[in-house]
Amino acid sequence: MFVDSETIRFLWPELILVLCAAWIYLGGTFRGSRRWWVAFALAAYLLALGVILGLEGPATTSGDRGGLASGPILVDQLGMICRCFAILVGILLTLLMSKSTRHDLGSEYQGTLMLLVVGLMLVARANDLVLLFVSLELISVPTYVLLFLGRRDRGTSEATLKYFLLSILSSAMLLYGMSFLYGLTGTTSLRGIQAAVSTQPSVAALSFASLGISPDALIYLSLVFLVAGLGFRLAAVPFHFYAPDVFQGVTHANAALLSVVPKVAGLLAFTRLVILGFPQAASQAWEILLVLSILTMTLGNVCALWQQNLRRLLAYSSIAHAGYILIGITVALADSQRAGDSQGGVAAALVYVVVYAVAALGSFAVLAYLGSEQNEVHGVDELAGLARTRPFAATALSICMFSLAGLPPLAGFWGKLVLFLGAVQTSSGGLTVQVMQWFMILAIAGAINAAIGAAYYLRVIATMFFRAPAKTLDAEGGDGAAVVMLVCASLVVAIGLFPGIALNLARKAEASLRAPVSLAAQDPDRSQPRPVEHAWHAPEPPRTNL
Amino acid sequence: MSSVLLPTLLLVIAATLLTLGMLAAGMLFGPRRTSAVKEMPYESGMDPIHDARRRFDVRFHLVAIAFLVFDVELLFLYPWAVANRTWLAWLNQANHTEHLTAMAEATQAVHVNPTLVFAEIMVFIGILAVGYAYAWRKGIFRW
Repeated sequence: MFVDSETIRFLWPELILVLCAAWIYLGGTFRGSRRWWVAFALAAYLLALGVILGLEGPATTSGDRGGLASGPILVDQLGMICRCFAILVGILLTLLMSKSTRHDLGSEYQGTLMLLVVGLMLVARANDLVLLFVSLELISVPTYVLLFLGRRDRGTSEATLKYFLLSILSSAMLLYGMSFLYGLTGTTSLRGIQAAVSTQPSVAALSFASLGISPDALIYLSLVFLVAGLGFRLAAVPFHFYAPDVFQGVTHANAALLSVVPKVAGLLAFTRLVILGFPQAASQAWEILLVLSILTMTLGNVCALWQQNLRRLLAYSSIAHAGYILIGITVALADSQRAGDSQGGVAAALVYVVVYAVAALGSFAVLAYLGSEQNEVHGVDELAGLARTRPFAATALSICMFSLAGLPPLAGFWGKLVLFLGAVQTSSGGLTVQVMQWFMILAIAGAINAAIGAAYYLRVIATMFFRAPAKTLDAEGGDGAAVVMLVCASLVVAIGLFPGIALNLARKAEASLRAPVSLAAQDPDRSQPRPVEHAWHAPEPPRTNL
Repeated sequence: MSSVLLPTLLLVIAATLLTLGMLAAGMLFGPRRTSAVKEMPYESGMDPIHDARRRFDVRFHLVAIAFLVFDVELLFLYPWAVANRTWLAWLNQANHTEHLTAMAEATQAVHVNPTLVFAEIMVFIGILAVGYAYAWRKGIFRW
């Protein structure tokens, strides 16, 4: 996997951000001002966004992909849109973290966050197992640091350590799953794997077959590990155990980060790796994911019902939303098995994750805004009477929570609608009777869960509006948090009023995902799966001396 | 003698001479002021005999992490050099274009720019240098 000049051309935004992050780390030791580094980080994000839209936009839409069809980097609409979204998330989190609890660590916050955003941007366009794994780690490793930087007490240390240990375990599983793929196909390129699995068995696969192990069994095994590794990032059952404890232990800004960034990354990795990577396993994959999806939704929503701690409640809500996102992935897999072409499953999941991310960021921003360095908001009861004491914050939180619950004019409603419609469509067309029944069960489970979910969101809103104020909250979270909550609430309303824009973008992204790239025409040598023996050896250099 | 083993032999001789030379130089020129503390077995500045559960200075840990910077650098430079030796050979070749074409055919890769391969590792070293400078500025070497 050489980085060639063609690839560099499309890597400038990421390179700019990495350079800026390095500069923030180094410069922060000379100049401690928190405000200055927040401003610098925001400028860097805007510059990167400008480069993406200005330089790459035309290239991506015109289909000028250079020789990149099978290189480590994919240049398509999905990557483009998700990178813009990653930068938006970066900007919002920068603002949200602008008033970090420790003044002297302001630059470390911003630098680490920027590296994390670069990781998310790279996940969005990885076309290679190695790059995909490294960019997922580029998200995980800064996350550990950020969680720990947030606050220094026993609770935070416990939460950080829990997250760290479980996260490296999940990374190990992911890597193990990937190693099976490499062993079977002899290539790390995702397109190459796709081609190899569907055409001829590799040497390794044949040797396994001679041992009496069918390659299909190995693909299935690999799939299980990949689902486990990525399921942790989505916080899907049964890999969700860390979420409530970790969310409760960390600051609101970090909880926002945990609920958004790994989910987006997990979905993107699922899309690139599982849905595209090996369609042969689609039938097994959707069976696993359908069950996981129903379990995840139900467990998340039911457990959230009796939570008194706000961050714990939002953690279970985050688990429940992972279940909804899995509906989209399941539908996409089932469709790809039926028609060899996804019909909206990926788009629905993308829309949903964006809608969820915005509403979750908004909710956490309100909570961060309401607290202060000494007194964070913890319990639901502390919000009592907020509508009278802080009407502005109460309105923003209500809008975000209504959207999370999926009430009609807001963004969350459209997100759920497209997901459930996808499941219903799959259940009504094609495939066998059993499959149709399963997808009908999935759609019904989703609908029931939406109702359960509404209960606890409405409980929070009712506490804010119908109970007498107990005490006045500090509301010293800073201007940054106030801006984020305003932006998120407006985005929720805007997407709710004009859902067509988001849906069209997501459909375009999905279409580009499936755009046929003729491997042979573009770059014959790298895309073809080579026999494993050749993949092991580096090219022999001419022996001149010795 | 086989010419293959000659460099190894030279290396062994050079290493022995260097080691002995340093020891000899220390014995000849080094000041010798003994004290009770200096005569103790070396245990990174700590009392060598104590309770096993004693706490020790967190700065040892910080220096160990700073050491990782160089460790990782070394860990990465070798595979890089081995993986790219064909491309790096280009830097020493007189007939650049011919060599490059031959290599491109041999490795089935396209668009590889040797300067870029070199720049890649320079960026890597640069990032590690930033980490080192950061640690330095943060005062982990200040005891």
